Amino acid sequence: MIIACLRPQTGWVFTQAASGLEALERLSLKRFDVVVLDLNMPDIGGYEVIEFIRGQDKLRELPILVVTTRGDESSRTRALAAGATRFMTKPFAPEALLGEVRALVADGRPEAPP
Amino acid sequence: MSNGFDSAHFLAGFIAEAEDHLAATNANLLSIEAAAAKGQPTPRQVRELFRSLHTIKGLAAMVGIEPIVEVAHAMEAVLREADRAAGQLPRGAVELLLKGTRAIEQRVQALSKRKAVSPAPAALVSALAALRQSNAQASGAAASTSLPPELWSRLGAAEREQLVQGISAGRRAWLLRFVPTPARAAAGFNITAIRERLGTVAEVVKVVPQSVAATDDAPGGLAFALVILTDAADALVAEAGAVAPEELTAISLEETPAALEEGGPDDDAVDDPRHRGTVRVEVARLDDALEKLTALVVTQFRLGRATAALRAQGTDVRALAQVLAENGRQLRDLRASIMRARMVSVSELLERVPLVVRGLSQATGKSAHLEVAAGKAELDKAVAERIFPAIIHLVRNAVDHALEPPAERAAAGKPEVGAITVTCFERGGNQLELTIRDDGRGVDAVGVARRAGAPLPTSDEALLDLLTRPGLSTKTEVTTTSGRGVGMDVVKRIAVDELGGELAMRTTPGRGTAFTLRIPLSITIVDAFSFLCGGETFVVPVATVEEIQEVDLDRTVRGPDRRRTPRGESDRRRGTRGTDMIQRRGEAVPVLRLDEIFGLASPDTSHRKAIVVRRNGEPYAFAVDRMLGQQEVVVRPLEDRLVRVPGISGTTDLGDGRPTLVLDLIALGSKLMAESVTGAGA
Amino acid sequence: MSDLHVLCKIGETDYLFSAADVLQMESYSGATRVPGAATQVAGLVQIRGRVVPVLDLRVIFGFPKIEPTLNSRVVVLQQEGRTVGLLVDSAREVLKIPAADFQPPPPVVVQQTEGMVKAVAQRNNRLLMLIDASKVIGEEQPHGE
Repeated sequence: MIIACLRPQTGWVFTQAASGLEALERLSLKRFDVVVLDLNMPDIGGYEVIEFIRGQDKLRELPILVVTTRGDESSRTRALAAGATRFMTKPFAPEALLGEVRALVADGRPEAPP
Repeated sequence: MSNGFDSAHFLAGFIAEAEDHLAATNANLLSIEAAAAKGQPTPRQVRELFRSLHTIKGLAAMVGIEPIVEVAHAMEAVLREADRAAGQLPRGAVELLLKGTRAIEQRVQALSKRKAVSPAPAALVSALAALRQSNAQASGAAASTSLPPELWSRLGAAEREQLVQGISAGRRAWLLRFVPTPARAAAGFNITAIRERLGTVAEVVKVVPQSVAATDDAPGGLAFALVILTDAADALVAEAGAVAPEELTAISLEETPAALEEGGPDDDAVDDPRHRGTVRVEVARLDDALEKLTALVVTQFRLGRATAALRAQGTDVRALAQVLAENGRQLRDLRASIMRARMVSVSELLERVPLVVRGLSQATGKSAHLEVAAGKAELDKAVAERIFPAIIHLVRNAVDHALEPPAERAAAGKPEVGAITVTCFERGGNQLELTIRDDGRGVDAVGVARRAGAPLPTSDEALLDLLTRPGLSTKTEVTTTSGRGVGMDVVKRIAVDELGGELAMRTTPGRGTAFTLRIPLSITIVDAFSFLCGGETFVVPVATVEEIQEVDLDRTVRGPDRRRTPRGESDRRRGTRGTDMIQRRGEAVPVLRLDEIFGLASPDTSHRKAIVVRRNGEPYAFAVDRMLGQQEVVVRPLEDRLVRVPGISGTTDLGDGRPTLVLDLIALGSKLMAESVTGAGA
Repeated sequence: MSDLHVLCKIGETDYLFSAADVLQMESYSGATRVPGAATQVAGLVQIRGRVVPVLDLRVIFGFPKIEPTLNSRVVVLQQEGRTVGLLVDSAREVLKIPAADFQPPPPVVVQQTEGMVKAVAQRNNRLLMLIDASKVIGEEQPHGE
């Protein structure tokens, strides 16, 4: 399950995508501030999704938070090497996720034009 | 696929034996065909073929692979009849038998990759059966489809098999596109919905996301290519996919000689075990051995540290140190032995090339014969895999462009059959020289110059420069057989830029052309992470990296400043103003800013990635701007003393034609720490 | 020995290389920097697949560094099995200068260039300095450091 967030001035809006392909689709149509990506996905590999996103000019700076049940170093290293911004392992408290997401967006990155 | 230890064991044995027999089968079939052209009978080869197929059938039956049994049985039946007829094969038999061999090879490959084995191609089996009554032939299984190469390459082996199988069995295969737009999304058409809809009328083989230019029709710059198999009517399929029926593109099978898209040479096959006292080894096992060797080297290292600690305490470690040194030498020798085992014989690498030429001859209507004279030359498997497509391209070019049609050749007083030779020998200095020669019409300098918009070249070298210009190939070599993804520019890039070799050409109008490749016998290939630091790209071998982490340089902890420079102040340029540290699993890890160390521009964010390496048990984290990806790279050591600096182990070419530095972060870390302890300057 | 020499310029000064030492001349569009190498090492370039270290002749002779231009050239030298490139402002001509036209360099030139100029010749009222290729690429420290 993948969640992408859009934050208009009034607050957080979370959008869900059921698969990697759908996530790519939504990312192509709307501007999002953060992507939260689960590595375990049905139709297209998590690393492939990260690489595809990083390959798009306008998504190059999009923060990607990778979430996975595997806690081993190699998947963290692989995900970050593929271009993920942050890596979290489940289980975690929902507040922790929100905190990370907020931090990623409040990073002071210049706003990309929609 | 495997049900337990025993079946996996048998399977490996089956695969090995089957491959041996398949290679012999191919060779025999070609030999039969050449002899038939001269009107010579070949009873011995037919009998050997019969025996090979019979064996393959038996082996496949033992491990329960029905599809292979079926094809082998059909082939064996044809050969039994021919054997009884003193080696006479009906017309078109060789063609079909080659296809059958190919069908078995594909399934053996699928087995070795633990993928599903598709059912025997019904059309081919019936064609073989029909042959026994000497009827006309039908088409058989082909190796690839009309899908554009960039899509075909995104399909896994099982998906390709599924597609090819489906088409062979008579199902319709379509390629359609779905472009997400806000309007479609609002109407409920997203990729998930389209897949579901298509799923009701077809089998979705693969969905491939593709970057496209952002236009009004494709505002997101994204399109999905869907590959499906169906028996339903076109109108239904189009409706399900929310496209017009005209937008469905049919996918058909394509006759491609040999498995070129599967890429490259067989596994480390050595000669028939009954004759040579050799062993077949899978490359994966050799790589595994190398990995274990690396672990041994690390242990050796730790022993060295422990010994140094003992020495520091005053123990006499001379005897121990001697043993360690001996051990180190033995490890190096072992590594060399394993690397030698990875060598592939060039003759075997080029085994398939005559098949390629045969197919091309038929497709282009020209007559060509290929000779391979490689002697005992050997190549490292990594080099072999990379150079193979280049060789194939040059051979294709020779048949496609260089050789004249038979009538023209006869008029020019040349034998009707064009001669292409591939010769190969080992040069001094770790190099292999490979020459692909043809007796065709030579390279048309005037035509090439015109297409390149350049003045007429005055030498073969200048002409080759023009030929290998990017973009030129796609214009001139798009015929049905060439133009599939490898152009002369890519040949040059592989041989020269990637492998550090040379490409030369000699051509004589009307007489022929010779291309010479000089490539290193072995190269260092490493899996490496590429990253951005100070705006410049670097790579570091994956094996040296313990971990990659996020780090916020604003949140590091300032450790005590252990260093004292002669001037007593921190040297900002080397980036260790009091050592920044981060907490990592209970360890304090010093953070070294690579951009400052290298004197490069710093990015404006404090959020970086840190590459953690470990030396002598001590971790270091190097802060870099951004990770770019992971890939296998060819490392070329830096030879000239002017550029031999600690921390840089060589250069590689990431594809942009500029040298990219390969870093040795472990050495760099220890150099910096040594400087920090002694307070020494550069 | 061939009488052919490659003529290069740094600013207004003319330098010559014996054509026998020169493998090829290439245009220059930047080099990959090598952190930690001597200051005269401009970096690494890839020329016809070969990775070649490039030295900045300006730095070697104590001229101020400049931004490379479209005229900048890398003169690729081969000496004693080493292949090293030299970055110059321009390299446009090949001149034929017989050995007899060369004279030993004046003492002031020898001193200023630390022996890297092995002879001088006159052409059209200009002084052309013949560079000792092996000294130039063999130097570990640039002039003046």
